[in-house]
Amino acid sequence: MRQLKKPTYAQVNDDIVRTLVETGPRYYLALGTALLVSIVLFFLPWYYQLRTGVGLAGMNQPNVWGSYLANFVFWIGLSHSGTLLSAVLHITQSPWRKAIYRSAEAMTLFALIIASLCLFVHLGRSWFLHWALPYPNQMELWPNFRSPLLFDVMAITAYLTGSSVFLYVGAIPDFAAVRDRVCGWRKNLYTLLSLGWRGTDMEWHRLGVAYTFLAVLIIPLAVSVHSVVSWDFAMSIVPGLHHTVFAPYFVVGAIYSGTAGIVTMMFLLRKYFSLESYITTTHFNNLGKLLLLLSLLWAYINMLEIFTGWYSGSSAQIETLNYKLFGYYAPLFWGMVLFCAIIPLALIVKKVRTSLITMLIISVLINIGMYIERLLILTTSLSRKYLPDYWGIYTPTLVEISIFIGSVALFICFFLVFVKIVPSVSMYEVKETLDTPDRRR
Amino acid sequence: MAAELLGLFSHADQALKAAGGLRDTGFQEISLMSPTPLHGVEQVLGRKTSAIKRFTFFGMLTGLLAGFLLAAGTATLYLLPTGGRPIIPIPPYLVISYEVGILFAVLATLFGFLVSARLPALRERHYTPETHIDRFGILVTCSSEQDAERARTIILAAGAEEIRQLEYLGKKSHEQ
Repeated sequence: MRQLKKPTYAQVNDDIVRTLVETGPRYYLALGTALLVSIVLFFLPWYYQLRTGVGLAGMNQPNVWGSYLANFVFWIGLSHSGTLLSAVLHITQSPWRKAIYRSAEAMTLFALIIASLCLFVHLGRSWFLHWALPYPNQMELWPNFRSPLLFDVMAITAYLTGSSVFLYVGAIPDFAAVRDRVCGWRKNLYTLLSLGWRGTDMEWHRLGVAYTFLAVLIIPLAVSVHSVVSWDFAMSIVPGLHHTVFAPYFVVGAIYSGTAGIVTMMFLLRKYFSLESYITTTHFNNLGKLLLLLSLLWAYINMLEIFTGWYSGSSAQIETLNYKLFGYYAPLFWGMVLFCAIIPLALIVKKVRTSLITMLIISVLINIGMYIERLLILTTSLSRKYLPDYWGIYTPTLVEISIFIGSVALFICFFLVFVKIVPSVSMYEVKETLDTPDRRR
Repeated sequence: MAAELLGLFSHADQALKAAGGLRDTGFQEISLMSPTPLHGVEQVLGRKTSAIKRFTFFGMLTGLLAGFLLAAGTATLYLLPTGGRPIIPIPPYLVISYEVGILFAVLATLFGFLVSARLPALRERHYTPETHIDRFGILVTCSSEQDAERARTIILAAGAEEIRQLEYLGKKSHEQ
């Protein structure tokens, strides 16, 4: 393997500022395509659905929840690893976090925004969204805080705010470093964002304290968010959904899919911004180990869910289980097992973990598998409720498929804009891992 | 006449040595500017404490209370008895309380950070762009010409590459 020379402090500034100010035609092509796809496949079908009605989606009795909610859970899951992983690695002082955490945190932020949008799409009459917010109104009606859906509103608001603050506070010194290197509108923007940061010992001390406190707050918050999302389902009495294991099941799945998302994003950033000196095979190796651990955990919790249903002795639970494993959706279920539990076992081999293209393929397959999981949670349970004459099959319509693809394009759009505004690699933290100029040579 | 001296170093330990020397000589307003957080700065300039933890703590307490009051208060504004269940059920409202608690704690921590780091900077302060790249700077306030000369000697002796005399901009934001 070719050993890359470690950059100097000044090179770090040059390389990272270059990713912000030098924009080639490939970037504009990618951004234009993503924007066009998101308009055509996300906003136009959504507008069409707003005009026509939510009946355009394949959701109907008994499958009143469909792919829109699967999208929501998928994006919330993808949002999970970024800030959570960053916070955990900050507290455990893992040096390999420093090159990757900024982009991972951005992934959290944008995935949360897309997740919220998917929820608005699912609502059907999105203009009544404010009904979920607690505000004094002329009908004197308040939201029902006993409902897990309201837990969701509070948890996502807190997580979105927490993730934004965590991302911003960690980036202030880098905004200051960029401020001194750019001109024109960028100069004004970074002057505003850096708040007059000078990098004094007092400022670094306060930043360190605040950042650690934020990391400590973010960890339980992230765990609570996906637990709350799981209760949207688990607090119903639908067979297949009414499991106490759902909260850890969702949290593990979320961290799993989020970590796979980070691997995909790291690969693309490294390749297209020539960040080989910063995002190294060590990062992929470590993320590969984490993915392997998470795949085993995920497989364990899945088996636990199946055994809980099987041992329950409830005919409705066993019917749902049979349907999931051997029914109409069985190919999807076994595909999910292949993508999320079997293929990732290859990560036990170091060569697989350090082969970047293999890591990219495995990470994409894991996220396909995780999307299937979210779809199956809803479809297999709602399709087989207690009464056989109330059974049905759900298939997503073209509008639903289009909105999912469009949401991916919208996420890419957000991310492409982000990498041109915020330094995607933390300069000051990468410098901490380099040979410091603190000893006279 | 008061003035500020800025010494630039290419090595962190030289800057730390200069800071230690200045402090030992009696200079009070010393700032060490660096491109990364410096280890060992506390041994030289003394241990720093901040009030951020208090902001976080009281933010969390306020949030926990506000979350519970929001859920419980709105439930009592429009009574809707359901199947004999309590109007103010504790377990679900604790979830709301928990989420709002963390939300307030995060916002209070941000506020505490900005207040204690004196950000955003509302008045002009000296800084140099080199310290955001690969240089280490010492900024010291000198009350007289004699002080400035003493500081200059200490900074140069520690190995400064460059030293600049700057206009005094009022009481500096030097906190311990």
